[in-house]
Amino acid sequence: MKQSLLAAFAVVTGLASLTACSSPSSTTAPNPPSTSPAPTSGKVTINWAASPIANVGIRKQLIQLFEKANPSIKVNLISQPSSTDTNRASLITEISGGSTTPDVFMGDVVWPGQFAAQSLAEPLNKHFPASFFTRFAPGLVQGATIKGNVYAAPFFMDAGFLYYRKDLLQKAHLPVPKTWEQLQSEAKTLVSNKMVKYGFVWEGASYEGLTCNWMEYLTDAGGQVFNAQGKPNMDTPAAQHALSFMRGLITSGVSPQAVSVFQEPQAMNTFNNGQAAFLRNWDYAWANSQTPGQSSVVGKVGVVPLPTFAGHGARGYACIGGWDLYINPHSKHMAADLTFINWMTSVPAQTVLASQYSEIPTNATVQNSPAVRAKNPVLSIVGQTNLVARPAQNPYYAKVSTAIYTNVNAALAGQVSVSTALSQANAQLASAVGSSSL
Amino acid sequence: MRVNKLDRGYAIAGYAMVTPALLVIALVTLFPIGYSIYMSLNAIQSTYSGFQFSFIGLHNYAIIFGIAEFWQSLGFTTGYAIVTVVIELILGMLTALALNQPIKGRGFAVAAMLIPWTLITVISAQMWGYIFNPVYGVLNAILLQLHIIGQPILWLGLPNLAIPSLMVADIWKTTPFVTMILLAGLQLIPTELYEAARIDGASAVRVFFQVTFPLLRPSIGLAALFRILQAFGLFDLPFVLTQGGPGTSTESIAMLAYKALFNDGEFGPGTAVAVSTVVLVILLALVSLRALRTQVGEVES
Repeated sequence: MKQSLLAAFAVVTGLASLTACSSPSSTTAPNPPSTSPAPTSGKVTINWAASPIANVGIRKQLIQLFEKANPSIKVNLISQPSSTDTNRASLITEISGGSTTPDVFMGDVVWPGQFAAQSLAEPLNKHFPASFFTRFAPGLVQGATIKGNVYAAPFFMDAGFLYYRKDLLQKAHLPVPKTWEQLQSEAKTLVSNKMVKYGFVWEGASYEGLTCNWMEYLTDAGGQVFNAQGKPNMDTPAAQHALSFMRGLITSGVSPQAVSVFQEPQAMNTFNNGQAAFLRNWDYAWANSQTPGQSSVVGKVGVVPLPTFAGHGARGYACIGGWDLYINPHSKHMAADLTFINWMTSVPAQTVLASQYSEIPTNATVQNSPAVRAKNPVLSIVGQTNLVARPAQNPYYAKVSTAIYTNVNAALAGQVSVSTALSQANAQLASAVGSSSL
Repeated sequence: MRVNKLDRGYAIAGYAMVTPALLVIALVTLFPIGYSIYMSLNAIQSTYSGFQFSFIGLHNYAIIFGIAEFWQSLGFTTGYAIVTVVIELILGMLTALALNQPIKGRGFAVAAMLIPWTLITVISAQMWGYIFNPVYGVLNAILLQLHIIGQPILWLGLPNLAIPSLMVADIWKTTPFVTMILLAGLQLIPTELYEAARIDGASAVRVFFQVTFPLLRPSIGLAALFRILQAFGLFDLPFVLTQGGPGTSTESIAMLAYKALFNDGEFGPGTAVAVSTVVLVILLALVSLRALRTQVGEVES
């Protein structure tokens, strides 16, 4: 009897550990970061937390080049989860608990609102001169600015593109689609002629990436998440049009039902295996699809800006994604952190990112360099696309995005109707930006 | 049960001996729970110099109780716990009865059966992820080969399938645990009772319901208690397999707390969810223990 009582206690303990995690690991107040640079005479080691970039060995190469240029600083890579939500959860736990590591972390471009409100990032404008920020392409610094403070340095940019199989379109004598409707009918033709297994694959799982996909259809259809007054505005005819079209891609057999559980790797693999005619993915998908050994469609792929709805202008919208470099406010090596960020956003580092890995650089000089453009076909079409940002300039963006992707995903899965999904999303958006939310 | 003087003396000695252990438990269990309760009664702001608390009473609870998502995840978790525990008890009982027979290779069978239980849930969940995968999953491949289905099925992407799929993965993993507890209970039943029943000419079914089942009730209660408590902490399986989707249909209460605490940094409402779960689980544990105790009393008398 006593044993079972103790056992019961043990089980309760296990459950309670969930709540225990929420207690701050350190109750002592961490010192506010000093603005005077620490002496860098001896060798300093800083920890850089970053998730895998484009699933290739890019981080290690950049670290090697940095250490070569700055022999007094050693960089230790902390590999973060590739899921952006899990990555953020681990960073929030560490930094809100007062941990001094990581010193520098790579974070999503949609995080500054939340990280500023919860004091999880050091304002960079307090350390860098104003001239530092002029190296970035227009609009990027603004995205990391909250109430006059810049919380992150733009590292690389992502945008959504349409990848297509040149060989299949050629064989079927079809043009590269300019509208979503055209894409749908061409994909249908290719599938029904048994030329390819799936027509169009994209990211429809219940996660942040679906919010990006959604922003592209919604904005192109003329809709928006919040209206000019900041009120939720997703229950509109434009949103109906966008979501009905996305659901229609699945019901018409153009996209497999499986896209409602696809994240980037699943969509990418399906395309790389030659199982899909069209793919919506980020810029790095170019390098990814052209790497022999990991792709069976090398040399058969074309890339264009995303299509638009018929009658909605000449070109579609691409969601802006990408990653910034942030400093942990509790870091003990502020000077080395700044040196690291300065180098990572400099011309040499950004050239490596853009020419070897088909990322879009944030450094304006590199972005406009003809030599880099020649090596990166995605970069030369960035200028032809309309960019749309996610509604992230507020501390509640995490909840805003959850309200979007869970409801859009429910409609894609056929769990609820399009109109129910949109009215639910609207209600959840209202509570997300209100005070009484979870 | 009457407590006489001798028993009381034993009780005092017993308490003296468990005191060190209880102190450790208090430190690692009661303090975090107490601190979480304190956090759940405050509005918490994360600042550069640590957390700032301001007392707001039960406001965080008012927030979570007013949100449909909380009740939905509570409903999902409860339903999930009931269904999986009942099925696991039935399957566990059947396997335990089979393994209690003096059959050849019993040791091997018990060892093999324990493999699912010893796997870390995150690993076994990944494995089930490969089985259920809609594009290259094993399950779809087998069913397509056998012409049972004509189209690949999206096991984890549709709510009517995602919940049962999670349940299957859970039952596969934890039935061996139930079996082990029941098997231990079975082996404690004196063989004389069975011999007596056989001499009286009782049928196998009758022996089970008149001898085995009543004597096994404490073990069944214990297995059920363990499993219910575990099921209410459901996290890793949906976290790996569905991330709570489609929509929020497989979002357990622990995932909801995780999301509020570590994605949104909402420490007040997040701890309120966690504390509500703990209260619920403690109530369940007390009720189950109470039920267990009367059963033990009956058996002893």
